[in-house]
Amino acid sequence: MTGISDLATPVLMGILLGGLYVLIALGLSMVFGVMRLINVAHGDLVILASYLAFFAMSGEIMRHKLAFGSDPLLSLIVVIPIMFGIGYAIQKFLMSRAFEISMEAPLLIAFGLSLVIQNTCQRFWTPLSRRLITPYALESISLGSVTLPQMYFLDFIAAVVVVLLLREFLNRTYLGKAINATSQNKRAAHLMGVNTGRVYGFAFGIAMATAALAGVFLGLTFPFTPTSGVSFLIIAFGVVIIGGLGSMLGTFVGGMILGLARTLGGYLLDPAAQTLILYLLVLVVLAARPQGIFGVKRT
Amino acid sequence: MRFTIPGFGKGTIPLVAVAVVLAVLPVVGIAQRWLLYLLLFFVYLAIANMWNLHCGYSGLITMCFPAFIGLGGYTMVIAAWVGIPIPLGIIAGAMVAVLFALLISFPVFRLGGVYFAIGTLILPEVMKQVFLLWRPVGEGAVGKGAGYMLKGATAFSLGDVYWMALAVGIGSIIAMRFVLNSRLGLGLAAIRDNDKTAASSGVGVFRLKLYSFMMGAFVTGLAGAIYYVRQAYIEPVSAFSISWSMTAIIAAVVGGLRTEQGPIVGTIIVVFLHFLLARYPGYSLILQGVILIAVMLAAPQGIVGVIDRLRGIRVHRATLRLATSIADRIKGKGNM
Repeated sequence: MTGISDLATPVLMGILLGGLYVLIALGLSMVFGVMRLINVAHGDLVILASYLAFFAMSGEIMRHKLAFGSDPLLSLIVVIPIMFGIGYAIQKFLMSRAFEISMEAPLLIAFGLSLVIQNTCQRFWTPLSRRLITPYALESISLGSVTLPQMYFLDFIAAVVVVLLLREFLNRTYLGKAINATSQNKRAAHLMGVNTGRVYGFAFGIAMATAALAGVFLGLTFPFTPTSGVSFLIIAFGVVIIGGLGSMLGTFVGGMILGLARTLGGYLLDPAAQTLILYLLVLVVLAARPQGIFGVKRT
Repeated sequence: MRFTIPGFGKGTIPLVAVAVVLAVLPVVGIAQRWLLYLLLFFVYLAIANMWNLHCGYSGLITMCFPAFIGLGGYTMVIAAWVGIPIPLGIIAGAMVAVLFALLISFPVFRLGGVYFAIGTLILPEVMKQVFLLWRPVGEGAVGKGAGYMLKGATAFSLGDVYWMALAVGIGSIIAMRFVLNSRLGLGLAAIRDNDKTAASSGVGVFRLKLYSFMMGAFVTGLAGAIYYVRQAYIEPVSAFSISWSMTAIIAAVVGGLRTEQGPIVGTIIVVFLHFLLARYPGYSLILQGVILIAVMLAAPQGIVGVIDRLRGIRVHRATLRLATSIADRIKGKGNM
């Protein structure tokens, strides 16, 4: 039964799934690259965006049902600015001070945030598993012998578009160049007249804007619960570790590798062990090359 | 870096007196509800103390306590399942946690600082997946993995489990005292402040960190096993839940990292909030998260740290003692 044609489904699925992983990891990578902060609340912030879109779609909150409904993709018009604001506020009011306290302070504050976000989502939208169900999220596309949910293709397209846009933004606009400069040498950037405090705020905000996109596409593709965040944090971290810092191409390759590891591992070994294989891969890469496969060790 | 290290003798008599009073509580017939509060307090206290040992004194931001706790609990429950008595199972649980710590120490100790935190954060999630897939003994009710009832749990009254928890809680305080007054504590403090300087001064960095890590695994494994004797039921999602780490962090940080009394004060607050807001489960955790952030920003030295500062006790004794011990070494008397 096993042949090349049988492998086509998991391979294609893995690559497309990798797109979603890239989308989730972009925000973590940006905050990590610019501020040297591993935002352990990243997964929960992505899930928060999923819930905001869920709220916009169903109007459900704390056992009440408000009378409105919007398409999840349309709701991004509101969800992206909200998430940007949250990101900016986290940097401005929490992280900027935390860095001056101690090495572990930003990490512990991020843990506090994660606890608050998880339990707020649980209060507002119950611990039940939710999903953003729309007509286009339920359709499938066939390519030859392979049939996959349409959302997988949309995830991949979204990832490519966002990565390209982000790259152009970082290379061409003043703010983008300022973010790049600050991540390379904060002091030098400051001396060149860059308002580094504000750049940090914008960088965190942009990271959360990509998290908003990731959250909505995630919710359209998979079911989520308030505690799903940890799992996506590990995946995003794996993508960043494999891809290395500051490399968009690396991030993309990292996403593909984890996506393929999941689907191929599930196909060749045991479908139930997909997540375990993924986590073990992240752990092995982390232990073997903490600076990443494509990354260069930065001091 | 300033921190206080009280002498070993100081406060021993009050500690013994408090322990004796707490030990007779079940005999004098205190309300079951209070025993339950205290039981939880001691379990959390042991875990918070070990987190203080790791983060406060050894520079290890350990996030894999849920793995130790879950392994301790599972070993005890499975041991009972195959007919091993529960007290023996509890010890076995702690030993399995230590073995696990030894096994993972080689890869994770390659990681520094924040990478160590993330590396260890993945471990409980890995264990959760393993126990969701793998059912070591007995047939599952539904599918693979799933939970176990503890066989023979009824043989232990609440008072019995309370005594075990009390022993672990008080034991963790004594262990901390012992470590802080030994050369191990000095070496760890030196590693935390600057591991390269410590290494070049002849401190065995890897070895000392490993001792601290294994000690943390032993105590949390023990506490986890005892906790699940009381629960009498174990399943992977809550056993390996990240919320164990959260509780430890909040108790240690709010009370005061790098202080001996900090975790005690912090654990009292955590348990108090837990039961005060028991009817509104989510709010207690939201509040704890807010408190953690607020304390971290406003008073990173924690409650005990602030009190110490107000009382003007800024002891540099540890730094002083490290200097003396290095001087001893140079004279050829010491052996760290």
